[in-house]
Amino acid sequence: MLAALAAIPVLIAVAVRLSSTVPPGRGPAFLDRITQNGLFVAVTAMLVAVPLFLPLTIGVVAGDTIAGEASLGTLRYLLVAPAGRVRLLLVKYAGALAFCLAAPITVALAGAAIGASLFPIGPVTLLSGDVVQPPEAALRLVLIAAYLAVSLAGLSAIGLFLSTLTVVPVGAMAATVVVSVASQIADQLPQLEWLHPWLFTHYWFGFADVLRQPVLWDSFASNAVLQAGYVAVFGALAYARFVTKDVLS
Amino acid sequence: MNRAWKRWVPAAAVPAVIAAGVLAGSIPARAGDPLPGKSPAGVLTLLGQHSTRTFSGTLEQVSELGLPDLPAGAPSSGPVSAGGPASIIELLTGEHTARIFMDGPAKMRVQVMDRLAERDVIRRDHDVWFYNSKDNSAAHLTLPAFASDLPLQVPGDPGALPGRNGSGQNGPGREGPVPDQSTQAFPTPDDLAAKFLAKVDSSTAVTVGPDVQVAGRAAYSLELAPRTEGTLLARVVIAVDGQTGMPLKVTVSARGQAQPAFEAGFTSLSLAAPDDAMFNFAAPPGATLKELPVPPVPSVPSVPDLPGKPGMTAPDQDPDRVPGDAAELRHRDGPTPTVTGEGWETVVGFAAAPDGQEAQLAETVLKDPLLSQAAVVVPGGRLLSTSLVNVLLTDDGRIFVGMVPADRLQAAAGTA
Repeated sequence: MLAALAAIPVLIAVAVRLSSTVPPGRGPAFLDRITQNGLFVAVTAMLVAVPLFLPLTIGVVAGDTIAGEASLGTLRYLLVAPAGRVRLLLVKYAGALAFCLAAPITVALAGAAIGASLFPIGPVTLLSGDVVQPPEAALRLVLIAAYLAVSLAGLSAIGLFLSTLTVVPVGAMAATVVVSVASQIADQLPQLEWLHPWLFTHYWFGFADVLRQPVLWDSFASNAVLQAGYVAVFGALAYARFVTKDVLS
Repeated sequence: MNRAWKRWVPAAAVPAVIAAGVLAGSIPARAGDPLPGKSPAGVLTLLGQHSTRTFSGTLEQVSELGLPDLPAGAPSSGPVSAGGPASIIELLTGEHTARIFMDGPAKMRVQVMDRLAERDVIRRDHDVWFYNSKDNSAAHLTLPAFASDLPLQVPGDPGALPGRNGSGQNGPGREGPVPDQSTQAFPTPDDLAAKFLAKVDSSTAVTVGPDVQVAGRAAYSLELAPRTEGTLLARVVIAVDGQTGMPLKVTVSARGQAQPAFEAGFTSLSLAAPDDAMFNFAAPPGATLKELPVPPVPSVPSVPDLPGKPGMTAPDQDPDRVPGDAAELRHRDGPTPTVTGEGWETVVGFAAAPDGQEAQLAETVLKDPLLSQAAVVVPGGRLLSTSLVNVLLTDDGRIFVGMVPADRLQAAAGTA
């Protein structure tokens, strides 16, 4: 799955390399910068991956946590061991979180690597028009990856909860992805404006604030608070559901 | 069974705790140290004395003017980024955030935060840079020597001078493909306050409301309300910082609308001097660069006179810059605009000039897909209607602007 994510920047870089120059203002943001600076492959790839690919992989991982074990019939045996259900749940969620971190870092690393090999690497122009040297640019890339990891924590908590509801892992996976897509759609509707700050996808694109000079931390902080709220709510729901569940299979 | 129910307690408790926290947070924090009571005149004096020229802060602007909303989610809004009236309209819909850094009158930087993009204006002494990250374009302007001691009189300057409107001669759309000067449609509360206060006369009731908290600072709230019913403007509330007298927030309410029609205020503010490196700028590599012509000399001396003399020049009818180009026309040589009504009910009419430039303007306005969508056909012309300002473009090329209901504009058009 990480390999599939790594394929996104490769695809972007190769496509831009083979095509003629990209006119500014067309396609995803930052796409026209790639030919000048390979590091933008990573930024563009993360931008492209945010709406669907990252939630998709998180949905698969988080949806599989409990339901996967249940469908394989291994959940029973796991619970026979004197580890306790809470601990199992925590370990499963920690695994999902590790994937949340690994996924954007994979995209960033693959993007930087393919960008460095196909395009020149040089000082990076930030959104504010200031120029930073590659080491600092790399730091900003790591910050973006961290921002995305935090952004995905809420979704993985939702996936964990959905996974405790069913023994069909595909159902939990699909439901998680559908939730993320529905949330993004709701975020686009001006009629639901009151709801927007409460949607876990609301700050997903806020990672661009890391590319400003000086870095604007507001969205990072708001995003972290929001995701912590989702983790708390759906973590509690998952706990309640899982410890009261009849595990027969 | 009882045991099983207990397991669900946390699941119910967590949302309850969050809801309680949100409710507690939404209760406005009381000012710990209430400001000494002041009369409206006292607040006005405080405001007039303020000389804060060194600060950094985040400005948030919310407009509910009833203009068509642009899809906020569209990452690359092609026609909008092209500059011109549309980008101003874009800044007048929805919410926008900008960061402002100022250090003295000659150093400033404004960053308008767009989704995945940013527009910057940077000034250090004589050098003024414009940068738009959307198309990676930069423009440079060297101010003439005489302008260097004048604070912020740059065309497209979003800075904080009351008479800034006078530089409208170099407004967007007139300069050619300048990267994006629409940042000038991002007025600071200081700007707006000066504009509205310039219009205060006997037709306006000035009161001081209860103290408010803006950007964590205690502020007086100065309320201006027209005494007449014949204007769309209901109320202007200016939050004046209790310590420095700096306007922190301006809220403009329209009649018959619960939400403020326009609001611009600081969400965070620091009076410390920003890092000097903030004002360094050079065109980034790969950016398209354009050198702008120096603004014409005569525009500058006339600037400070404009507001506050409604009798001599047409009063400023566009606090929100919708008829920005009309303001531009006003200061140009040509037929004098006709003024009917007074105070907040003023209607300014522009005759169709022989050279047809007004008609041309009307045409440009209507050619713009966004504006023509906003303009509705009414008897005698087309009406560009917002909750604060109405603009009537008559069929014969005349333009009437006023903060009045549409029928008054039509009446003015009928008699003029």
